[in-house]
Amino acid sequence: MGNIIKSTLILALIAFIASMALSHINRITYPNILKQEKQKQDDALKAVLPGYTILEQKRADADGGEFKYWIGERVDNDKTLRGYAFVTEKSGYSGVVKSMVGVDERGIILGISILQQTETPGLGARCIEITSKETFFGHFFGKSTGDEEESPPWFQEQFKGLNAKRRIEILKKGDWTEDMKGELIERNAISAITGATITSRTVRDSIERGITRIKTVVAFTAEEGK
Amino acid sequence: MSHVKQITKGLWERNPILVLGIGLCPTLAVTTSVINALWMTLATTFVLICSNILVSCIKNIVPSHIRIPIFITIIASFVIIVELTLKAFQPDVYKSLGIFIPLIVVNCMILGRAEEFASRNAIIPSILDGLGMGLGFGLTLFILALFRETLGANKLFGYTLIPGMKPASIMIIAPGAFFTLGLMLWAMNAIKARRKG
Repeated sequence: MGNIIKSTLILALIAFIASMALSHINRITYPNILKQEKQKQDDALKAVLPGYTILEQKRADADGGEFKYWIGERVDNDKTLRGYAFVTEKSGYSGVVKSMVGVDERGIILGISILQQTETPGLGARCIEITSKETFFGHFFGKSTGDEEESPPWFQEQFKGLNAKRRIEILKKGDWTEDMKGELIERNAISAITGATITSRTVRDSIERGITRIKTVVAFTAEEGK
Repeated sequence: MSHVKQITKGLWERNPILVLGIGLCPTLAVTTSVINALWMTLATTFVLICSNILVSCIKNIVPSHIRIPIFITIIASFVIIVELTLKAFQPDVYKSLGIFIPLIVVNCMILGRAEEFASRNAIIPSILDGLGMGLGFGLTLFILALFRETLGANKLFGYTLIPGMKPASIMIIAPGAFFTLGLMLWAMNAIKARRKG
């Protein structure tokens, strides 16, 4: 009997000390964690709605949870143009791929930014890969090409200018290059990541799902010429 | 056992991955890049040394039949400290290691050292044991990641090695990790056998 009480007390004491210590650590790190998350969201908003001022953040109910979107505005000559950004997600090859998508009032994608993904490194995870012209030897042995400005991830870059209201096709043409741009926009298509068609399809499908949801809360203007 | 021996045994003789065969899950998962392997080593070694110190301190007051829940509570607390700190100050590292940071709790290397070593030895040897095991774990991870990142992604420390070359993607996925680990085990055993004569 005494044995049980003693064991219980020791276990409780250790659990108590552990939770005291952890709550203290949490108090120190929490403001920073919040700041990082805010920073990440602001960066993403800037990337998907370039040149727009964010007016408000809204929430709407959607099937399977909450739907978060932002309304932005941009003055072009004397017209005020609206832009919308939304967060959307879908299960990919090994977990949820979450991205923020920005569209203008015609439904043309202004930019996407993948916020969260756990795809296979070297394959699906290349959806956030940044093409670096700098090589290892160049970096460490002083033969830098001088081209060090960060370019946006190539996979996300190719969504720019596509029409989100129509179906986005997926072509297998290998890594995206600047000269594919004309053909891809013409066909409203992206070039899949080699060996990671599932990831490419996930991002496409999540955008489609997001557009369906945002259509219920905002109205897009008609497409020109079509 | 001398202090130096206490550290070096983790590197070769009792290397946690190659000899004891523990901690394989993070080994296979995070060695896709050298940077990830180094951060994982840092996180694991920190938890290992801290939990070894505490376990060694309280070894005389802990009744043996409840030692496992107590060890796990201690280990889990340090892992949460690492997790929160990384999340707040190194969000990119936290993002790339993802689930494998919280999973340090169930890395049997840490519980194994608490049970096998720290709960039976004084504080100083326990610290050295944790350090040595951490270094052995780290060295193995580093070599494994070196092969996988260069061959599987044509990169090193995130920088492209040979521009324009297509890497062998199999090295970056799980089978590549098993192949490399197998070859490392073979190399180690071959060297050991030759030394014996």
